[in-house]
Amino acid sequence: MARSLWTGSLSFGLVNVPVQLVSAVRDRDVHFHQVHKETGERVQMQRVASTDGKEVDWEDVAKGWETDDDRMIVLTDEDFEAAQPDKTRTVDIDLFVALTDIDPVYFDHPYWLLPAGDGDGPIRAYRLLVDVMAKAGQVAIGRIVLRAKEYLVALREQDGLLSLTTMHFADELRTPDDIGAIPTGKKGKPTKREIDDAVALIGELTDDFKPSRYDDCHRVRLLRLIDEKRKNGEVEIPEHDPEPAPQKAPKDLMAALEESLATARARSKKGGGTATSRGGSKRRAKAG
Amino acid sequence: MPAARSIWNGTITFGSVAIPVKLFSATSPHTLRFREVRASDGATIEHRRIGAESGDEIEYADIEKAYDEGDDGQIVLTKEEIAAAEGTHPKVIAIEHFVRAEEIDPVFYDKPYLVGAQDDGVHGYRVLLAALEKSDKVGIGRFVLRSRENLVAVRPLGGALGIQTMRFDDELVDKSDLELPSLRKKPGAREVKMAGALVEMLQGDWEPEEQHDTYRDAVMDLIERKRHGKEPKKAKRKPEDGGDLADALEASLKGGKPKRKTAAERKKATAGASSAKAKASSGGSKSSSGKPSSGGSTSTATKRASAKKKASTTKKKPSTTKKKAAS
Repeated sequence: MARSLWTGSLSFGLVNVPVQLVSAVRDRDVHFHQVHKETGERVQMQRVASTDGKEVDWEDVAKGWETDDDRMIVLTDEDFEAAQPDKTRTVDIDLFVALTDIDPVYFDHPYWLLPAGDGDGPIRAYRLLVDVMAKAGQVAIGRIVLRAKEYLVALREQDGLLSLTTMHFADELRTPDDIGAIPTGKKGKPTKREIDDAVALIGELTDDFKPSRYDDCHRVRLLRLIDEKRKNGEVEIPEHDPEPAPQKAPKDLMAALEESLATARARSKKGGGTATSRGGSKRRAKAG
Repeated sequence: MPAARSIWNGTITFGSVAIPVKLFSATSPHTLRFREVRASDGATIEHRRIGAESGDEIEYADIEKAYDEGDDGQIVLTKEEIAAAEGTHPKVIAIEHFVRAEEIDPVFYDKPYLVGAQDDGVHGYRVLLAALEKSDKVGIGRFVLRSRENLVAVRPLGGALGIQTMRFDDELVDKSDLELPSLRKKPGAREVKMAGALVEMLQGDWEPEEQHDTYRDAVMDLIERKRHGKEPKKAKRKPEDGGDLADALEASLKGGKPKRKTAAERKKATAGASSAKAKASSGGSKSSSGKPSSGGSTSTATKRASAKKKASTTKKKPSTTKKKAAS
């Protein structure tokens, strides 16, 4: 099981529940080492002080803040803990909201929030929170400090346990206005018929969301090319397909929509559905 | 906010419709950027690549990646060979199909991006956006970002098109992967009832603009104290829990804690915080510029902001505010 990244207390009213945080995501990427391209010697990262060139052990590394008058303020882990001691060891719940009210754009990293220790009292308190949140069908909003940064968090009941997801603060999210992303005005304004056709096309291409059908094709391809290199000593590098050309004139866009719609309808008539997950059944290829 | 620069240009396709777009990060985190320093004297630290056996420094240009095969040695791959895993259309976000938005559990969503239209893409962009908004569907596709293919959701985001990278199912840690103590010790009926009442008291609306990062200010404050040679404030630890569950619930219900701010308090806090934000952002892009710059007024601006905000951040105090819907 994954190590706990944080232990502390979940506070709900005056009830404090000892809890630990475990990541709900595991890294399944294919990993590489850095090596010297000729000798194959493994590369190591060494930390040295810029002033005297001496190696610095990991335990002697701290965080430095450069002031505007060129002084370096050194901050240790204890300093970060002490900055707001209540916050660094407690997740305070002080609001319950409907999950569907939160746009997923707010969500960052998911964790499991598990009971710490197995004393009778703490377990009962944990169970109480699980049960009551399952019943309320709502998520609890609180805060947590992780790696010297504060996050908003959403807690909810999942599978009889509590999950915690870190969230962005509203002012950490860019709005479309910030980047001028929303095309407005007359240019390219869609007609009703175009929208209707696009909605119909989306309808034809709609399927249930089944997360297990999606493979990590990138991982599969990486493992395949490692294999190829092992066998042949080289890897065949494929040419890139040309980028598809946009439909510049409105009539071309309309034609593309109608053509796609006709194709999709013909396919669903044949009963082929929209199964498009690439990589098919090779799910859960082990990543070394 | 500094002018946004696109991080990726390419084409969204659905059916045979091709829409040239550009991508922008939808987040700009508040993280304070620190330098890595030696604890004893604050000397900045440099990273050096050395040979694990020889100890000789190795130039970046001489580095390749190798896949470790344990006792069988390693397989060295060139950068071009690794890039072959990106597939044959790295500049396309191909929507494979659509799903109903409400079917996707938020646990699958990872990093969000905002999509803008390139000149030739405006019309197609607006058609796709309007159709997604009307149908409440999400497009599922794939695309390569930073040399890695991602599963992505294409969906409306604040009136624009957004995409959000998604986690694969087998990346998620299930309950069965966890070591758990027995959770069979059930709370009593009275406790469940009281806890339920407490949840109801704390129910409210999701108003993310009201939530502000206060820890960042506390760290800035700490830096200021250290800078002037003052001791960091003594840490006051909360007493650990040890009390009776039912008693704690009862006390909470009687107003011992629930501390949702009153409307007036909240308004005050928001006003203070937004002026703080305005000041802080006038300090430029410090927090996102990679390292704290030594020049300029940035840290003073942040300091002022933090002082201002602190004054307006109400301490945790009991409040009798009840559930909004009920009042």
